[in-house]
Amino acid sequence: MALVKLKEFCVPDTPEQVDACVDKYGENALILAGGSFIHGLEARGLLSEVEALIDIRKLGFAGVAATAEGLRIGAMTTFAQLEQAPGLGRAPWLGALKDALTYPPMQIKNAATVGGCLAAACPFFDIPTALLALDCKLSTSKAGSKREMDLADLFSGLFENSLAPGELIAEVKLNKPAGRAASAFIKLEGTANDLAIVNAAAFIAVDGAGQCQSARVTLGGGVGDNAVRSTSAEKVLLGQKLTEELLQRAADAVEQDIQPMADHRASAAYRLAMAKVFTKRALSQALSRLN
Amino acid sequence: MTNLNVVGKSVLRQDAYDKVVGGKGFPVNVSLPGMLHGKMLRSPYPHARILSIDTSRAEKLPGVKAVMTPKDVPQIIFSPIFFMPADSMAIHRDMLILSDTVRFAGQPVAAVAATTAAIAEQALSLIDVEYEELPAVFDPEEAMKDGAPEIHAGVKNNIRATPSFGAGDVEQGFKEADYVFEGTYETQRVHTCYMEPRVCVSDTDSSGHITIYSSIAHLFGLRERLAYALGLPVSKVTVIQAPYIGGSFGSKLDLAYIEALSALLSAKTKKPVRLEHTRYEDFICNARHPMKVHLKTGVKKDGTITARYASTLCDTSAYSAHGPEVIMVHAYFGLMLGYRAPHTKWEGTVVYTNNMPGGAFRGYGAPQAAFAVESQIDEICEKLGFDPIEFRLKNTPRQGDPHPFNPEWKLGGYALDQCLHKGAERMGWANRAKAGSASGTKKRGIGMAAHPIWVSGCVGFPDIYEHSGAIIRLNVDGTAYLSSATMDIGSGQNTTLCQIAAEELGLKFESVRLAPGNTDNLPFDAPTHASRVTYSSGNAVKVAAADAKKNLLEVAAIVMEANAADLEVRDGMISVKGAPARAMSVADVVKRAESPFMVVGAEGPTPTTLKEKGTIMGISSVAPPANASPAVAEFVEVEVDTETGQVKILRAVYAHDLGRVVNPAAAQGQVEGGLQQGIGYALMEKMLFDPDTGACLTSDFLDYKMPTAVEMPSKIECIFIESNEPTGPYGAKSLSEACLIVPAPAIANAIYNAIGVRFHSLPITPEKILAALGKL
Amino acid sequence: MKQLISLEVNGDVHEIAVEADATLLSVLRDNLELIGTKRGCDSGGCGCCTVHVDGKAMYSCMMYAVSAQGRKITTIEGLGTEERIDPMQEAFVKEGAVQCGYCTCGMIMTAKQLLHDNPHPSEDEIRHGIAGNLCRCTGYHKIVEAIKTAAGNGLPHMKGQ
Repeated sequence: MALVKLKEFCVPDTPEQVDACVDKYGENALILAGGSFIHGLEARGLLSEVEALIDIRKLGFAGVAATAEGLRIGAMTTFAQLEQAPGLGRAPWLGALKDALTYPPMQIKNAATVGGCLAAACPFFDIPTALLALDCKLSTSKAGSKREMDLADLFSGLFENSLAPGELIAEVKLNKPAGRAASAFIKLEGTANDLAIVNAAAFIAVDGAGQCQSARVTLGGGVGDNAVRSTSAEKVLLGQKLTEELLQRAADAVEQDIQPMADHRASAAYRLAMAKVFTKRALSQALSRLN
Repeated sequence: MTNLNVVGKSVLRQDAYDKVVGGKGFPVNVSLPGMLHGKMLRSPYPHARILSIDTSRAEKLPGVKAVMTPKDVPQIIFSPIFFMPADSMAIHRDMLILSDTVRFAGQPVAAVAATTAAIAEQALSLIDVEYEELPAVFDPEEAMKDGAPEIHAGVKNNIRATPSFGAGDVEQGFKEADYVFEGTYETQRVHTCYMEPRVCVSDTDSSGHITIYSSIAHLFGLRERLAYALGLPVSKVTVIQAPYIGGSFGSKLDLAYIEALSALLSAKTKKPVRLEHTRYEDFICNARHPMKVHLKTGVKKDGTITARYASTLCDTSAYSAHGPEVIMVHAYFGLMLGYRAPHTKWEGTVVYTNNMPGGAFRGYGAPQAAFAVESQIDEICEKLGFDPIEFRLKNTPRQGDPHPFNPEWKLGGYALDQCLHKGAERMGWANRAKAGSASGTKKRGIGMAAHPIWVSGCVGFPDIYEHSGAIIRLNVDGTAYLSSATMDIGSGQNTTLCQIAAEELGLKFESVRLAPGNTDNLPFDAPTHASRVTYSSGNAVKVAAADAKKNLLEVAAIVMEANAADLEVRDGMISVKGAPARAMSVADVVKRAESPFMVVGAEGPTPTTLKEKGTIMGISSVAPPANASPAVAEFVEVEVDTETGQVKILRAVYAHDLGRVVNPAAAQGQVEGGLQQGIGYALMEKMLFDPDTGACLTSDFLDYKMPTAVEMPSKIECIFIESNEPTGPYGAKSLSEACLIVPAPAIANAIYNAIGVRFHSLPITPEKILAALGKL
Repeated sequence: MKQLISLEVNGDVHEIAVEADATLLSVLRDNLELIGTKRGCDSGGCGCCTVHVDGKAMYSCMMYAVSAQGRKITTIEGLGTEERIDPMQEAFVKEGAVQCGYCTCGMIMTAKQLLHDNPHPSEDEIRHGIAGNLCRCTGYHKIVEAIKTAAGNGLPHMKGQ
């Protein structure tokens, strides 16, 4: 289906050119990164007002670098590039990201970018849930200015992000945790080529005595307008020794922080039940990676 | 069984090399000079009257060449089904090309032809339609109630048909039973999901003659139906045979709006006009009829069935189309014929609703039936401690029995018993655990289903075309051309027919080629449906090939100075039986026949006689003598994750008596593909619609989930049993639909064996399983 | 309003006038008449349109033609040599993996990258590797066999990209 109001397809070389296009078309300019979700939105009539597409691939924002602080991922890095990046390594703390990258089909992995995926603010995606479970910060760039934000501050509603017009995600920074830590991500899908019905990620760090000193439990799929953190689940874990029974209690606690939706994929009741099952599975997987 | 040279071998499909490098032959590739592109405007309302349509703005858009609304098209009421005569009294006509009354969300109300598809699409938004919305009804039971919106004028309670049949006295039969089992089984609307969209190009000449290319499964059906809807004689329409199309599974057996509209737009603009469905348009074109079956079976202590009663509610949606026909095949060949009882009764109700049209889909009513019948047999056997194999054998026909549908036919080759025993043995059926006894959160189970009586084609069905013709021409290089109006929809029909022709002629497979034609120069063939091509079209090909061979040997006899009766053909060489040294190639004999009257060779000129002259051909137009029943049983092992409800298919064993395997690799391909569709039907596929507007919610592959390679088991075993059907070519009878009739009940029964919970409706989704386990 | 773009496809450079929102798929089929790449849906769900972009399998229906400038596109027509078809194509034919054939080209393009990245995949890796390609005819069974065969014959899987 055509973008019926499309007037211009810009491929800017500089951030200033991005701004020029955005100034011209305002809200009706759409930033195009990997473009792997645009046709899904288009087919549902959600892009009928788009007047300009801005393909930002000439602006760089590429590369994956492992530093002492952690991992720095250029926003235009594709899932495939990230999956194969040596910097991703084998560290257990990045388990959630690695897990999330195993799910999409090859064609999506080759096109979808980390920045585009996050900016889409789509609750059914996997990377947002996984990264929200890690200490994740974004650097953004707009002609003439930069800023930093926590990933959580990027999402402002269903398919809505908090970026200003023309502001682009430049880099995703994952900060390496101190001490022993591991994370995991798991997705419930109808088939191997599907959006998440529910997904969950867990990050746990333990001290020398094996007690949980920090935890992050995140969920996505149809459980909120965006990926959510379950602080209730995290509270159950903090300061405790991590037993299977404790993990189950934490998983049960996610109910307090999510709003499972009903749609043609699943009922709210099923999503709620699965949110708990998959949180428990993510926690167990993370725990097994600690050992 | 005699040893054959070509039939029975996994020869490579002739079109495979073309398809792996791009696939030139698909109708989607057809492009003609000056071609325009069409688009249809579709109603957003499920039930409405059109008060006015203003196309003036659309007509002014540069690039728009024609716009059509109901007043611009013939108002001939038709039924879209290709495989029955257009004027048949056995079907009901209630469709129009474009109508003032909309009966389903998405029904086309106008069409545009323009120089590009994008302009045509843009023009749609410039057409102003004033609708009067009418109340709509989507549930067939609601539609039958007094006061429900009337969908077709004068059809009381929206009930299109109420067929029934029976024998004996079921009430008496139930009294004689020791136990009576009753249940209601529901199945859902699913889509065929052929990958090549429906697409067509129509071209008209100065005399108004229409030539049409289309992705359809019946050439002559399109010709007849299109001519009828346009009010033309059939000789005004030529349908071009594509070398192959990209899938059908039954969906391409109807006249779609695109064909009628492309022809009309072409006539108006005097240019070729192409219309291609978007995937959304394909999804709402037609679908399998959802059915609700109530089944009651009376059984004696010894396992004999005393009485069978069933009733079926069939949602035929906005138009009659296949509904009244599907329900009959469903009732006879799906529900009632397979298992014998002295007292039987079936009652059906075919109801209109404002849902998207129903169509044909592999199995044509039998998958809905088999889910009910095979689930209930499983229940009966478990409750009464019967062995499911023995119970089935006790109540089904045997080889040599009269066919339950028509006693004049015999079950000449029929090996249900071998299907059951061999399949059971391969699966390890005897070792299956008691239902629900598995421990752990992931529970395994084994289930089975059979289908005792099915069809090979349509002999015996009222008013359904069932004759095939073929022409074989021998070439001077020793090859043969086969002309057959059979459509290769992907199962390898062309290859099968060429194998049969090669076998009969005595040529190598590589020497026979299917040469596509059109409805002007081909003899009639019925569609690629009803599992008929090997048995029916194959029979016609065999007859034509025998005819060609007879003619060939008559000429060879003259040239080789032998008796025709003493000659045989093998691998393209004609030789005298018992004296292989006296041989001549088919090529040389044909060359002689096609040569001038005086052949000048090394020895000088040799005269040829009139008796040797001329193109060597064979022709046939025949119907098969009967309708041979295959037999089938499938055994499936599943694993149910009782925490999530997800079901994994671990292994499938499929045992099928198909008389004779023509091409083992192709036959396996049918089983494997049928299992994918069966897994989808059993576990995940369901078309969904907005309950208020009727808008389709599952009109792309993001939302309509069907199995990927990951959801398929890695172990699919095929056991082909060759009972040597006397009425089939080389003993062959049908395969393809049965592959989709048995998987869903086998899976449902396996799930029962795994978790001890039975489901009476499809699909058995993870959510349904969890709810049934009390976990939601 | 059309714009002129330059596309490199199968080693040939083409100058084409395209609408702003023309997809790579529509340009391949309609402008360049490379009909091997196919449209099976409208939202990147079926895989029939899979091509290689700089050697990577992608849905051509999801890439805008304008975005494809400066990148090396390979379609099914770009596989193999003048003397022989690609071993993957041969394997699909020999293993009976081709039925209606509509998904076949997209499947082959995906399988090519799969073996390039992972020359000896397990069956599970093959199945996940082709999860982005739908087939309704074959049940994927012989497609998986064909990929195994292609992996086993030791021939190089990617012509120099």
